Amino acid sequence: MNLKKYFIRALHRLQKGPGYTYKELLVWYCDNTNTHGPKRIIKEGPKKKLIWFFLTLLFASLVFWQWGILINTYLSYNVTSSLSIGFKTMKFPAVTVCNANPFKYSKVKHLLKELDRLIEAALERILQPAPWNSSENASPPLDLELWHQIPLVLIDEHDKNNPIILDIFERNQTCVDNQTFVGNETAAGNETAAGTEMACSHQGSDNCTYRNFTSAAQAVTEWYILQSTSILSKVPLQERIRMGYQAEDMILACLYGAEPCNYKNFTQIYHPDHGNCYIFNWGMDEEALNSSNPGAEFGLKLILDISQQDYIPYLSSAAGARLMLHQQKSFPFLKDQGIYAMAGTETSIGVLVDELERMGYPYSDCTMNGSDVPVKNLYSQYNTSYSIQACLRSCFQNHMIETCGCGHYMFPLPEGVNYCNNEDNPGWAYCYSSLRSSITHRQICIDSCKETCNDTQYKMTISMADWPSEASEDWIFHILSYERDMSTNVTLDRNGIIKLNIYFQEYNYRTISESAATTIVWLLSSLGGQFGFWMGGSVLCLIEFGEIIIDSLWITIINVISWCKGLKQKRAQAQYPDAPPTVSELVEAHTNLGFQHEDVSALPRDEALPPEPGTPPPNYDSLRVQPLDILSPDSDAD
Amino acid sequence: GAMAPGKKITARIKRTLPVKGPQAPTLSELMRWYCLNTNTHGCRRIVVSRGRLRRFIWILLTLSAVGLILWQCAELLLNYYSASVSVTVQFQKLPFPAVTICNINPYKYSSMKDYLSELDKETKKALETFYGFSEGKSKVRRSVNEWNSTGNDFFKQIPLLKFEDFSKTATDLHSGQKRKIEGSVFHKDSSIVNSGDSNDIGFQLCDANNSSDCALYTFSSGVNAIQEWYKLHYMNIMAQIPLETKEKLSYSADDLLLTCFFDGLSCDKRHFTRFHHPLHGNCYTFNSGENGTILSTSTGGSEYGLQVVLYIDEADYNPFLVTSTGAKIIVHDQNEYPFIEDIGTEIETAAATSIGMHFTRSRKLSKPYSDCTETGADIPVENLYNKSYSLQICLHSCFQKAMVDSCGCAQYAQPLPAGAEYCNYKKNPNWMYCYYRLHEKFVKEQLGCQQICKDACSFKEWALTTSIAQWPSTVSEDWMLRVLSWDKGQKINKKLNKTDLANLMVFYKDLNERFISENPANTLVILLSNFGGQLGLWMSCSVVCVIEIVEVFFIDSLSIVMRRQWQKAKKWWNDRKRDRSGKPPQAGDLERQGHDNPVCIDEDLPTFNTALRLPLPQDNPLPRTPPPNYSTLRLETAFTEQLPDTLEVGQH
Repeated sequence: MNLKKYFIRALHRLQKGPGYTYKELLVWYCDNTNTHGPKRIIKEGPKKKLIWFFLTLLFASLVFWQWGILINTYLSYNVTSSLSIGFKTMKFPAVTVCNANPFKYSKVKHLLKELDRLIEAALERILQPAPWNSSENASPPLDLELWHQIPLVLIDEHDKNNPIILDIFERNQTCVDNQTFVGNETAAGNETAAGTEMACSHQGSDNCTYRNFTSAAQAVTEWYILQSTSILSKVPLQERIRMGYQAEDMILACLYGAEPCNYKNFTQIYHPDHGNCYIFNWGMDEEALNSSNPGAEFGLKLILDISQQDYIPYLSSAAGARLMLHQQKSFPFLKDQGIYAMAGTETSIGVLVDELERMGYPYSDCTMNGSDVPVKNLYSQYNTSYSIQACLRSCFQNHMIETCGCGHYMFPLPEGVNYCNNEDNPGWAYCYSSLRSSITHRQICIDSCKETCNDTQYKMTISMADWPSEASEDWIFHILSYERDMSTNVTLDRNGIIKLNIYFQEYNYRTISESAATTIVWLLSSLGGQFGFWMGGSVLCLIEFGEIIIDSLWITIINVISWCKGLKQKRAQAQYPDAPPTVSELVEAHTNLGFQHEDVSALPRDEALPPEPGTPPPNYDSLRVQPLDILSPDSDAD
Repeated sequence: GAMAPGKKITARIKRTLPVKGPQAPTLSELMRWYCLNTNTHGCRRIVVSRGRLRRFIWILLTLSAVGLILWQCAELLLNYYSASVSVTVQFQKLPFPAVTICNINPYKYSSMKDYLSELDKETKKALETFYGFSEGKSKVRRSVNEWNSTGNDFFKQIPLLKFEDFSKTATDLHSGQKRKIEGSVFHKDSSIVNSGDSNDIGFQLCDANNSSDCALYTFSSGVNAIQEWYKLHYMNIMAQIPLETKEKLSYSADDLLLTCFFDGLSCDKRHFTRFHHPLHGNCYTFNSGENGTILSTSTGGSEYGLQVVLYIDEADYNPFLVTSTGAKIIVHDQNEYPFIEDIGTEIETAAATSIGMHFTRSRKLSKPYSDCTETGADIPVENLYNKSYSLQICLHSCFQKAMVDSCGCAQYAQPLPAGAEYCNYKKNPNWMYCYYRLHEKFVKEQLGCQQICKDACSFKEWALTTSIAQWPSTVSEDWMLRVLSWDKGQKINKKLNKTDLANLMVFYKDLNERFISENPANTLVILLSNFGGQLGLWMSCSVVCVIEIVEVFFIDSLSIVMRRQWQKAKKWWNDRKRDRSGKPPQAGDLERQGHDNPVCIDEDLPTFNTALRLPLPQDNPLPRTPPPNYSTLRLETAFTEQLPDTLEVGQH
C-alpha cells in the first residue's frame, strides 16, 4: 500500500518536473550546511560573497590536500619506539660452555696419527732452509695417497710471471700455467715465498684453484682443518661425543645463587666446532630459572677444567673455554656470538638483556617464528627456535647439498644425506671453497632469510682477574683434584682451570618496543582536526554534501525526462507548421467578420498604466492554499 | 558610449560591487548580529539566553573556552619541535669498518738512541740519585761517568722537586738545594689540594719572561712524576724531527703484521694503509678505503672477520715512555679520524683477543630540534684533521688553535695548522708553561671550545665485546712459534717468543644493523589537525571563525566607529553652518536597514520547504494597503512573475 503510494508520488513528481533549480538547491545548501564557509557566501554583499567564495574554495582544497598527506602517513605504517630500562625478575639466560678444542687428543690420536705425521714432515720440510733436493731421510714412509687430492704447495713468487710451485710432499717443481689464484699476488716486491695451500678439484687437473696464504702457519692450520674434517665426518656421532670432553670432567663446580648445582644440570649438545658443549638453563625439559637479584652473589658460578694438555696441537691454537649466553630454546652459535674465557683467570660477566620487540608485517619485515621463511630450518632437529643464524647456515648447507652432493661437517644434515669426506666425494673441498667464496650464494641466503621480530641480545661487561691466587692455589687444586679423581695428588694446573661468574647487572634489561605510530583512531582524529580547523566540518557535513549531490542528480534526471517529454511534444506539434490558434483568435474568427487584424499596441500595456512600485500581490489565501497542498507531500519525500 | 574597456570593467565592478561599509549601524548592533550569526557555539548562547545569571554563566563559559583554546594551542606550539626516536634493525651485508692497529711503543728504541740517549741518561741518573737504585750496574756507572761531561740540560730546564712542609719548601732533587715555593700549586694526580703528604714530587714550570710567575705540578707518586717529566722532554725532542724520519724510526708494516686473514682469504700489508700518529708512531689501518673500495662482510662470525697476528717486539720498547706491552686497536669508520690515544682498546700479548662487533648507526635531527651539526661547516673552528667532522676533532683543533695563538707554536700531539710549527725549547723557551696554563684553562672550559664545538648529528658506532683466550696453547706453542718465525723470514734470526706475539680477531657478531634515528614528532599537518581538534572541541570553531572575528572585530567595528566619527563631524559642521535651523534629522530612522531591518530578520533558519514557499504572512502590518485590483488580467501576470511553480500547476 505504502509502496504503491510512494510510486504514485514519484510518478507525479516526474510528471511535475523538478520543484526547484540547481541554483535554489545550492543556495539552500549554503544556507543550511554546518560547514562554516558556505554560509558566508550567501549571507553578505557581493564583494564579501566573492571573497568568501574564494576562501571557501581555498580551505576546501587545503583540507583535501592535508587529508591526502595524513592518509599517506597512515599507510606508511610508521612505528614509534619506547625504551624502558630497569631491573626486574628475569629468566636467567641459557649459558653454553664448551672447550675451544673439540676432542681429547688422547682419544682421537688413532684417527689423526697419519695426518699428524704428515704435517710434522711437512713442517720440517718448510722450515728447513733448502730441503727440496736433499735426500729424504724421514724414517717412516708416508701414505701420501689420501692427501694427494689437496696438496700443500709452496709458491715462490720471486719471478712474478713465472711462479714456481713446490709440492711439499713430492719433489718435483711445476710451473703454473692455467690455474687461477684465489687471492691474487700481483703486487711487486713480494719477496717472501708464501706457504700456500692448494685445493684442486678431482675432475680434471686444469680445473684447479690455489688458495694462497701469506703465512705458512695459516696455511697449515687451514689445510689441517680440511683434512681432519674429512676424517672426522666418517665417525658416527655417538663415537664423536665419546671422544669429546665429558661433563663430569669439564664442569668441576657449579653454584647458582645460593643453590648448588652440578654437571647434571647441564644439557649436552654436540657442536661441530667445539665438540661437546654443555648448556645450563636451556629450558628444554624444565622451567627456566629466574634471577631476581643483581650481583655476582645471585648469579651462576662455574669452575671449568679445559685440560689444555690434551688439545689437538694443529687444530686450534687458542686455548680456553668458549661460552655464550643465549635465550632459552635457541641454538648457540658459538663462532658468531661466543666469547673466550682464559685459563688461569676468573672471568666475571655482568649481563644486560637488550631486547627489541618489533611489530610484524606490515610495519617491518621480520618473522615471528620463521614459518614464513622459504628456507628449510635444519636446526629444528635440535628442537630450537628460529634464528637468523640458523636460517643462514641451513641455507648454506642446502646449497652445499645441491651443488656438491654432500653436507658440510660443520652444519646439521637433512634426512638421507651424508657428510662430505675425501673418499666418497673427492672434489668436495674444491666445491666447498668455491661455494664459500661465492658472493651470489651468500646474497641469496641473506635475501631469503628474515630476522626475528623479537631480538634479544645479552650485553656483557667482561672483566678478568688471575685465579687462583698464588696463596690459595695449593688448596684449591688439591680439593678440585680430589673431587674429580679422588686422588690426593694435584691433577690440575693453572693452564686448565677457569672460573666464571655470570650475573645480572644492576639494570638488567633494556627493552625497546615498537608500537604503531598511526592507528585508525589517530587517522580519524587527525582528519577531523583538519576538517574542523579549516572549515569547522564533521562527518555530518560530508553526509550533507552527499545529500546535495543526490539531490542534484535527482534534478538532472527530472530535467532530462522533462526535456525528453518536451522533445516528444515538439515532434507531435511539428505536424502542424503553424502555431495552433488561440481561443481569442477562434472567437475573433467567429465575430470579426471582416478578418481585420486587431492592433496589438492599441491595448493598454505597462507603460500606459501608472507604475506600482513595491506592490505585493494580493494576499488572498484562497489563491495560494490550493496549489501548495498538492505540492507539500511531495517535497517531504526528499 | 565610447568608453575604454578598462573603464568599462571598473565601472561594472563599481556597479556590481559597490563600496558600502558594514550594514550594522552601531557597534552593539554589530555584536548582536555577529553573535547570532557566527559559527562558534558559545556566542549565540549569550545573546539568545534569557536572564542575567544565565547570560553571565554563558559569558564565563565562552571566555574560559577561549582561554583553554589559547593555552592548549600554546602548548601544541611549544611542543612542535620535539622528536621521537625510532629504532630499525636491518639484516644485511655490512661494510667492514676500518681497523687501525698500533704498537703501544711508538718508535723502535734501538733506532731512537741518537735522539734520546742524553735524556735517558739523565733519567736513569735521576732515578739513581732520588731512589737509590740502579737497574744494571754497568749502565749506570757509565752514565755516572758521562754525567759530568754531558751536563744537565734537562734538569736545568725543568728541575724535579721534592716537596715538603705542605708544599711550602722543596728540595731540588738534582742539586740538593732547598728553595721556597711561590705561586700556585697544581696537583696532577688528584683534584683535591691536600698536600699533607711530604712525599709529593713534581716539577715547576715558570714563565720565562717573568720568573716569579710559576706553576707547580706535584704528583703523589714518583712514577707519574718521572713519566710526565720524561714525556715533556720527549715531545720536545720529537717536535724537532721531520715526519719522514719519524716514519722510518717507527715500525714498518712488515715488522708489525705477521699474518693476516680476512673473510676466509689471505691478506697482507697491501691491505693496510700507514697512518702516522704523533704519540703512537706508525699505525696501520686495515680497510681504510683509500683505494676507493671498502670491504664488506656478508657472513658474521669469527672465521669471516679480520684475523691478524701482530709482532710486538717487547725488547725494543722505550722503558720510560710506555710501561705496558701490547698493541692498541680502534675500530672506526673510514671517514673518521682514529683517536687511538683516547679511545683505543689494548691488546695483550701471548693471547688471542677476540673482538665481536655490533653495528649501530644513529642520527639526530639538527636545528631546530637539537643543537648538532651535520657537516661541521657551521662551526667556526678550522678542522685540522683531514677527516670528517667529529666533536673530538673540533675540540682538539680548537685547543691547537688557541695554543698557536697564545703560545706561538703548536702542540706535538695534534696536527699542525697552516704556517705553524711544533713547539720546542730552542725556539719557544716558554711553551711548556704556556701549554700547561692553557690546558688547565681548556679543562676548566674557560677557552670556550666546549661551547663552540657541537656534536655531530650522525655517527656510527661499533660496540665491541672483547674476550681473551690463551694463545698459543701449550701443546701448539712449539710448532706455531716455529712456523711463525719462518714466516717472519730472513729478517729475524732468533726464534720468536710468545710474549712478542698477539693474535687479534675482529668480526661481526651478527649482521644486524641497528639504526637509531630521530624523527620529527610533529609535522605541520599534525599540528594543524591538533589545532583544529582543540578549536572544534571547545567552541566548534575553525579558521572561518577566526576570519569572521577579524572581519567583525577589526574591519567592521573599525569602519562603524569611523563612520560614527564622520557623521558626528559632519553633523557638527552642518550645525555650525546653519545653527539657526531646527533639530537635526534623525539618523537612526534613515539607517534602519541592513541587518537591523525587521523585514530581514528571520528568526528561524530557512528550511528547504520554506525556501520553496512564498514568504510567510508577516505579523507586522504591510507598509501600505494594496491598490484595488481592477484588472484581473494584470493580477495573473503578477502571479506568473513571482510563482512559476504555481503557474505551471495551473496550466496543467
